[in-house]
Amino acid sequence: MRCQTARKRISDELDGGLPAGGGVRLEAHLRTCRACRAYREDLERIQAGTRLPEAPAGYWAAFERKLEARLAAENPGRKRVEVPFAARRRWAWAAAAVLVLAGFSLWYVLPRPVPVMTEAWIPYDDILDPIVRAVESDPELAGRIDRELQASIEEMSPVAEADAAGLSAADPFFWESLSDDELRAIVTALEKESGLGGPQ
Amino acid sequence: MDERPEASLVEDARQGGQEAFAELVRRHERRVRGIALRMAGNAADADDLAQEVFLTAWKAVGSFRSGSSFYTWLYRIAVNTSLSFLKKKSRERNRAPFDENLSGAVPGRAAPPGPERRSALNELTARIDEAVAALPAHFRASFALVVDQGLSHAAAARVLGCSENTVSWRMHKARKLLQARLKPFLEEARP
Repeated sequence: MRCQTARKRISDELDGGLPAGGGVRLEAHLRTCRACRAYREDLERIQAGTRLPEAPAGYWAAFERKLEARLAAENPGRKRVEVPFAARRRWAWAAAAVLVLAGFSLWYVLPRPVPVMTEAWIPYDDILDPIVRAVESDPELAGRIDRELQASIEEMSPVAEADAAGLSAADPFFWESLSDDELRAIVTALEKESGLGGPQ
Repeated sequence: MDERPEASLVEDARQGGQEAFAELVRRHERRVRGIALRMAGNAADADDLAQEVFLTAWKAVGSFRSGSSFYTWLYRIAVNTSLSFLKKKSRERNRAPFDENLSGAVPGRAAPPGPERRSALNELTARIDEAVAALPAHFRASFALVVDQGLSHAAAARVLGCSENTVSWRMHKARKLLQARLKPFLEEARP
């Protein structure tokens, strides 16, 4: 137990308000802490020395007579009785509300850093420039690169060159992109080719 | 003769029964004056305050809700009346020109008189009163209710309209202030 906690408990103990079990831990602390023991002795001495003076003899009779005379002039009423320190508490609540509002307003009003999309930038131009210059200055190298490129294109789409018409005919977008006249022309050509067009 | 129950006296007082209210005054006058004395710090002001408290209670007794505790309500009036008085007094003191002869009378500021005037113990009692009078008003109100009137923290909290924990903290802080202020006198009075 820390001294700060022990001293709070000593105060509670003097008022008869020590929570259950608090006394045992407090006593354990006091056995080892001389400063807190001295503090408790001081508080006990203050508590013992605190006493309100008694009113002198005959005081209360005079007090009641005086009050009786004043009460006779007044009627019992319904005046509102406020809680002590209520005004101070109202101010405290109002101040807290203002602070919270100000906090929220600031949060909305103050400019915050906008998140920026960052992407890795690779300076391709710097890398490609010397290659392009080397290829342009050497026709043989350029020819080899062309062949390599052509071969890799053919490798990726082997039928592209071989049967472009077939691919186009199989592609539904090819047919959708044709106009009515073009479609009619194709139909006529096919009928002629197959001999199904009827008598000419 | 059996004492009339307090609830019955309060009900009569609510209907305008002055005799019933006088009996309530007799039952609570010492405690009310005790609170006033602790808050005001001197007997003359405490007497006026105690009169004022009962007058206010009489004017407001119609608004007292039966079922709640009469003493809580009455002590609440006592604390409120004392606070208003202190506020008014503080305003007047601020307006008054500074008087060097009075500055020594501020609680806790006067030089300790020699041993020939008072025994160490009486000296300590007087110093305690001065030190309590110098506490902040909300600490003093808690002190008056808990130490002088023997109320529990819970009962004092009901009078002051705050939590039990708040009263407990105020008492702790008040005692820390008192101990710090009275340290030299406590050393002197040590057996």
